[in-house]
Amino acid sequence: MENIISVKNLSQRYGRGRQIYDGLSFDVPKGSILGLLGKNGTGKTTTINILMGFLRPQAGECKIFGEDITAMKPHTRTRIALLLEGHVQYSFMTIAQIEKFYSRFYPRWNRDAYYGLMDKLKVSPGQKISSMSNGQRSQVALGLILAQNADLLVLDDFSLGLDPGYRRLFADYLREFVKAEGKTVFMTSHIIQDLERLVDDCIILDYGKILTHQPVVSLMKNLRRYTIILPSGKQLPENIEGIYSPWQTSGTTEFHSFLAPDDVRNTLEREGISAGNLRGDRVASLEDAFIGLTGRY
Amino acid sequence: MFKALYLKEYLKTRRAFAVCLILGLLFAAYAMLGINRVVATHGADHVWLIMLMKDQLFVDALKYFPPVIGLALGIVQMRPEMQSKRLRLTLHLPVSNNRTVMTMLSVGTLELLLVFGLQLAAVAVYYSGLIASEMTARVVASMLPWYLAGFTAYFFSCAVCLEGRWGRRIVLSLMGAAFVCMFYFQGTPEAYNGMLAGAFIAVMLTAFLSIGSVDRFKQGLTN
Repeated sequence: MENIISVKNLSQRYGRGRQIYDGLSFDVPKGSILGLLGKNGTGKTTTINILMGFLRPQAGECKIFGEDITAMKPHTRTRIALLLEGHVQYSFMTIAQIEKFYSRFYPRWNRDAYYGLMDKLKVSPGQKISSMSNGQRSQVALGLILAQNADLLVLDDFSLGLDPGYRRLFADYLREFVKAEGKTVFMTSHIIQDLERLVDDCIILDYGKILTHQPVVSLMKNLRRYTIILPSGKQLPENIEGIYSPWQTSGTTEFHSFLAPDDVRNTLEREGISAGNLRGDRVASLEDAFIGLTGRY
Repeated sequence: MFKALYLKEYLKTRRAFAVCLILGLLFAAYAMLGINRVVATHGADHVWLIMLMKDQLFVDALKYFPPVIGLALGIVQMRPEMQSKRLRLTLHLPVSNNRTVMTMLSVGTLELLLVFGLQLAAVAVYYSGLIASEMTARVVASMLPWYLAGFTAYFFSCAVCLEGRWGRRIVLSLMGAAFVCMFYFQGTPEAYNGMLAGAFIAVMLTAFLSIGSVDRFKQGLTN
């Protein structure tokens, strides 16, 4: 399948400081919705900034539509709709002015898609974006993206500052549009439950590396939450292969793993831990899976 | 596409532009009132005499108006681009980034041209009814460096606003201040006549500083 985004061995650090990631590689196939998840500071927005050409990576290669992003032709940008974190837009414009402005740049501009969404907001075309609520602004940003009718949608933390109603409206509208039109989406969000309704595949980033990259369905199917009661004073060793984020509360240790219960039992016993009272359940939500893999800080 | 970019810049600057235009005309009117007062009390021949013998132009009220206006317009136009790094939206438009930046600057340049042009024209028209055309030309030529200082202040303030690094902002600000001061070293009328063409080219070249600032922004050189 054709890859719309291709990232190979990307390395980046904060100035001369901490390494954000080293050797990050992933592809986004055509027609898929990929969510990039990670705690604060793991490099989600940095990745989007690199992909959009707003940050030069220290090493690695990124291609969008087969073009190196450092030498992307202006015309290629007509095929990419970008939503900046916080739904940043030209807030000095009105609803009508911003539509008129963007329509001049995009040959497939769909005015009706934009005004269809604006009608739901009960705002007048003359209303200035700066005078709107966060939720209304998010819908303006979404309307512009839908109207652009781009092949690739890049959405950076679309849920930032939105109440549940607007988040749901945004997610449902977006999913319907993307699936109906066969668009490719690369997105981040810090509210994982929103992504669960939206994404096909997810990448979960930890500090410096990818923890997992797989379809959400298989992640939910394969990841298990385990609990075990350890003898007093005993702790699960750090860095046991295949065991993520052990966490102890009132005598019960909780961890997550993609391993089947028998394999976990064998792994623990190899570490000298009796696994007689081990219990394993499927994770209930993508948010549980995310916290299970990345830990609770 | 470029029409749309012009519209965006106009929407950002229209209020500031209107204020600048009104202020420009008010300042010109103030200068003219001052001359009127001299004419009323001492007669027009006194104005001639002072202009010829003492190198006075009676337009000192307008001297620092252009750089102040240039600085203000640059800030009004470019500050919104850097709030929430909104410039990323502009750079994502399907137009060459350099052409986008130059188009943005051309809007501010045109607006300044109008403000300065109208002010200068008002002064020239007023003086042409009062003094000989050679002397009016001398007043206009003496004011031109002030307007070049205005464009310099504008181009530097744009570059400073678009610059992401504080260190560079400070360096650019100091460079801009020095460049603007250059147009005020000599107080004698027409002192800059011999270098106006060269100064004009140098000022226009400072427009490219914004391209450098944007290029560094794209490399992620911000703090």
